[in-house]
Amino acid sequence: MLRVEHLTKVFPDGTVALKDVSFEVADGEFLAVIGLSGSGKSTLLRCINRLIDPTEGRVLWNDVDVTAAKGQELRHIRRQIGMIFQQFNLVKRSSVFTNVLSGRLGYASPWLSLVHQFTEEERQMALAALERVGIADKANNRADQLSGGQQQRVGIARALMQEPQLMLADEPVASLDPVLAHSILRYLEQLNREDGITVLCSLHFLDLVHRYATRVIGLKDGQLVFDGLPTELTAKKFKEVYGQEAEIVTVDGSGSGLMDHGE
Amino acid sequence: MSASDKKQDPTLPAHRHLPPWQAALFSLVVPGSGQFVVGRRQRGVGLLLALIILSVLILWQGATALFAAVAIIWAWNIWDAWQLAGDHAMRLEVPVLLAAFVVYGVGIAATEIRPARFISGWPSVQPYLTALTQPELMEHPTKDIVGQVPIQIPCITPLPQPSKPASQNPKVTVNTRCAKVGDTITVTGDGFFPNFNGEMIWVNPIGDEQHVLENGRPMKFTTDAHGHFQVKIAVPLAVPVTSLPKPGETQTHLIRAEQHKPYGPLQPTRTLRLVLNKIGETIALAFIATILGMIFALPVSFLAARNLMGGNAVTRAIYYTVRTILNIVRSIETLMWAIVFAVWVGLGPFDGTLALFFHTIAALGKLYSEAIENIDPGPIEALRATGANGAQVVIYAVLPQFMPAFASFTLYRWDINLRMSTVIGLVSDAGIGFLIIQWIRLNRFNAMATAILAIVLGVAILDYVSAWLRHRIIVGNPTNAGRTLRSYVVTGVLIIGFIAAFIWSWNVAEINLVTFVEGAPAGVRMIRDFMTPDMFTRPTKKEAVDAVLPVPCGSGVGTPSAVSGSRVNLSLSCGNVGDKLTVIGHDLPPNTHVSVRWVFADGSYLRVKKDCCTTDSSGHLRLETKIHPLMAVNPKAGRAKPGKVEITWKEVIGPPHLSKAFNMVVNLSLVTLLMALIATTLGSAFAIPLSFFAARNIMGESVLGRTTYATFRTIFNLWRSVEPMILALVCAAWVGVGPFAGVMALAINNVPNLGKLFSETIEDIDNGPVEALMATGANKMQTLVFAIVPQLVPRFLAFILYQWDINIRMSTVIGYVGGGGIGQQFRLWVGLNQYADAGMAVWAIVAMVWSMDYISARSREKLV
Ligand SMILES: Nc1ncnc2c1ncn2[C@@H]1O[C@H](COP(=O)(O)OP(=O)(O)O)[C@@H](O)[C@H]1O
Ligand SMILES: [Mg+2]
Repeated sequence: MLRVEHLTKVFPDGTVALKDVSFEVADGEFLAVIGLSGSGKSTLLRCINRLIDPTEGRVLWNDVDVTAAKGQELRHIRRQIGMIFQQFNLVKRSSVFTNVLSGRLGYASPWLSLVHQFTEEERQMALAALERVGIADKANNRADQLSGGQQQRVGIARALMQEPQLMLADEPVASLDPVLAHSILRYLEQLNREDGITVLCSLHFLDLVHRYATRVIGLKDGQLVFDGLPTELTAKKFKEVYGQEAEIVTVDGSGSGLMDHGE
Repeated sequence: MSASDKKQDPTLPAHRHLPPWQAALFSLVVPGSGQFVVGRRQRGVGLLLALIILSVLILWQGATALFAAVAIIWAWNIWDAWQLAGDHAMRLEVPVLLAAFVVYGVGIAATEIRPARFISGWPSVQPYLTALTQPELMEHPTKDIVGQVPIQIPCITPLPQPSKPASQNPKVTVNTRCAKVGDTITVTGDGFFPNFNGEMIWVNPIGDEQHVLENGRPMKFTTDAHGHFQVKIAVPLAVPVTSLPKPGETQTHLIRAEQHKPYGPLQPTRTLRLVLNKIGETIALAFIATILGMIFALPVSFLAARNLMGGNAVTRAIYYTVRTILNIVRSIETLMWAIVFAVWVGLGPFDGTLALFFHTIAALGKLYSEAIENIDPGPIEALRATGANGAQVVIYAVLPQFMPAFASFTLYRWDINLRMSTVIGLVSDAGIGFLIIQWIRLNRFNAMATAILAIVLGVAILDYVSAWLRHRIIVGNPTNAGRTLRSYVVTGVLIIGFIAAFIWSWNVAEINLVTFVEGAPAGVRMIRDFMTPDMFTRPTKKEAVDAVLPVPCGSGVGTPSAVSGSRVNLSLSCGNVGDKLTVIGHDLPPNTHVSVRWVFADGSYLRVKKDCCTTDSSGHLRLETKIHPLMAVNPKAGRAKPGKVEITWKEVIGPPHLSKAFNMVVNLSLVTLLMALIATTLGSAFAIPLSFFAARNIMGESVLGRTTYATFRTIFNLWRSVEPMILALVCAAWVGVGPFAGVMALAINNVPNLGKLFSETIEDIDNGPVEALMATGANKMQTLVFAIVPQLVPRFLAFILYQWDINIRMSTVIGYVGGGGIGQQFRLWVGLNQYADAGMAVWAIVAMVWSMDYISARSREKLV
């Protein structure tokens, strides 16, 4: 269970990215985070695994205070929390296999891993993860030889290596075609349903939110302005989050969802 | 995957079932053959070639101990064949590391690296380094008063008059006319500056000066209010023991009292004024060469642009010719051109300008032509479609695309020319380098230091200016918007400044077309010799036949000599100076170049006729002349030996073989390549760790981090502005003349150059993967190894290759100033007028630079 309490983030340049944000996520939820570009979605997700240190407030993960953790303890928390990114964040020149294995670094021997030594078990695990996302045949390719959708699947496989209980996904489909977007989100859905992994995913398209999320929170200028079920997210509520100029667009552009102009 | 890759597929059925022991046996006998037969052809050929090359290298340097490594690679190759036959591919680390070990071992031997010389040579380089902290910048002008009095040492009787006079005003006296070493004497002076101090100088009979010492320090005297002083001094041993007077003789020494009274404000030293003057010349040469080079490169670049010249066979032929010439000219360093043009127009600024100019045309011609090739035809088509005319298309679609590249390449070249111009004086009398090398010869280290510091500062400032200009030209003002009055004023000032600078530079560069035209024959002859390198020589024996010719008649008798039937007949058996004489050679080798000469009574000789002669097909030779005046012998001198007429030629006695010069060139080329390799390796080894301190993202935003970053960046920039050629001068003083000094100089120069490139690379890395790995719970070291290193390695390698490329070019010239390698020999050959041999060195350099260019371009393509 994840609890976010009064989270505030002020960047050194004075930007207030999050203002007193509090919410809870029960185990097994698929939580969508929506909001305009710049509303603080990435900052929120990054505060949860402490890629960004919040200015005030706490993040509790299974009753452990993430915000107070340091060094070894923080790394142990992080390895339970997988993360995937809009830009995939793969090491482009390394092989797909190495990229996936690197998801296991938090568990691997700190010294042997430096010379790329992994156990047979870890290798099998990496193969299994790749198989699960359907690209085992690409294991020896360089990451930058893969298409965007395939790269994101490598990103998921890398996160799977952590055997995570929580998955943070920062706009995982914003750089992908509509068809690929669905395929990636279906993998997340599968992890959520079958493995019971809690998912926090920032999304932009109302139809995707309706289709995959079990709950939605909305951010506007760093403040929590919506917290409810996808069905409660009416066009009116959506405009409250996205502003009045926002127009309804679907992920494939056909006109039943909502998308803001800013993207 | 290309077709050739598929051929090497180890799973090809034809090769699949070779038993491992058979493959191993193949590889035991011929390395690589086992790999070859199981289908890994590239690997097999590579192994064989590598082993051959390594062995040749080892034998070349006689470093036979390294054969141990070759043996291990051989053994590995057998094992590898065995494994491959069993469909197991082994990793290549072991043989690659061993091969590197051998190459570096040979390299260290060939470049004569002796770390012990760092210590043994330290005393000789120390004055250079201390001088850097004491440049000669400012001084007060002084009014000087100097008085002297002679004294004779030792005393003899009678005492002769001293051989040097005393000064009258001021007046210096001494209480005795003679003394012996160690005596205390009293010196008085009058007519000096009152209440002011001065120093006592002892001048020995040869004129060497030394300070008179008091308690081991130079003695000072102080005058009273009337300009009078009196001091007691001990007579020093002022002459070396070997030059002491013989018993009963004496020598005249001088005691000199000097006062130097500063007056007026501080003013620049003579050294500083000279340096500033030459820095001006340096900048002028770079400037005029860049501008003229740019003007000439433009038309050339059209001829070298593929998209413009692709039309028909004729234009394509022009394209290839121009490209080839540009490439040849470019691969010969500017300094080499300076040596070539020195033969053409003589040493001086014009020589330097020509060298810079010539190289600039080639370099810019190539860059411009590539910019032209990169012009996007889209906008041109689009404008045509709107009905624009040709000029409009050029102005609105071609120029806007070409200008940024044009400006940036020209500025880039200006930066290079400026740096080159600082060192061109090392081979010619052009620019600041000339002062440096002169002062080093005179041991005037403080003056040298002044010049070096001036270069560092000057280059750094001009770099800054060109960065500003670049920004202004390339980034600024893309449209007419934003053109304010101020920008017009700035532009106007720039244009006027530019014209003034051009006129001034033209004068400083001493551009003189008359010299150029007059020198052309010498230059063309040299270039012709360059083009006909003598790779082969045939062993020859010198043969000679002669006939005796007493002048006048009866002045002596001698015996003619003949070789296997050849002989010389003269139309006269004796004669007088000026008599007509016909020289006839019989049975000489047919169609052979021979030389006919007078051999005078004293044995010296002179050609009868220049460029003479060739025998006909039957071995005959006939030459009409008049008896040379020097043939006359004095009949009164008695038994004089008479002069002779001699015909000499060279008899070929064996098959042609590679000339000695050719062997030297091959040898030195290898040394040069290895010098560059080792220097690059050393430079990178130091640059990699240092570069992290100059990377903003690594140093962070803390005060300490920002200061460290700024400090390292500044040091890199200042350090970079000292050219390797100048470093080589200092290194040669430190570790001795030779390739070691060259390696050191290059390595020292590579550290800041690579450091800067590396740190910029580090700043450019994609932070995404770093973040992703941190999110998985990886620690800092793991993040470094898995997310940062894989991003850096290929880019670093690309820069290292690029630097190696530059180093090869540099090491072809670093020998001019004591850095060893092929440059040293080239300069020697040009100095000896052996242009054919020098030409061979040039071709070797062109070949080296080309192959390196090719290799590094290909590898960089793969890496990035
Ligand atoms: N490192 C940073 N320094 C300063 N401001 C930042 C930084 N990162 C994000 N911000 C600002 O914080 C706000 C929230 O950003 P972000 O969390 O990236 O929004 P989102 O992901 O919803 O688009 C934005 O105004 C952004 O400009
Ligand atoms: Mg974001």
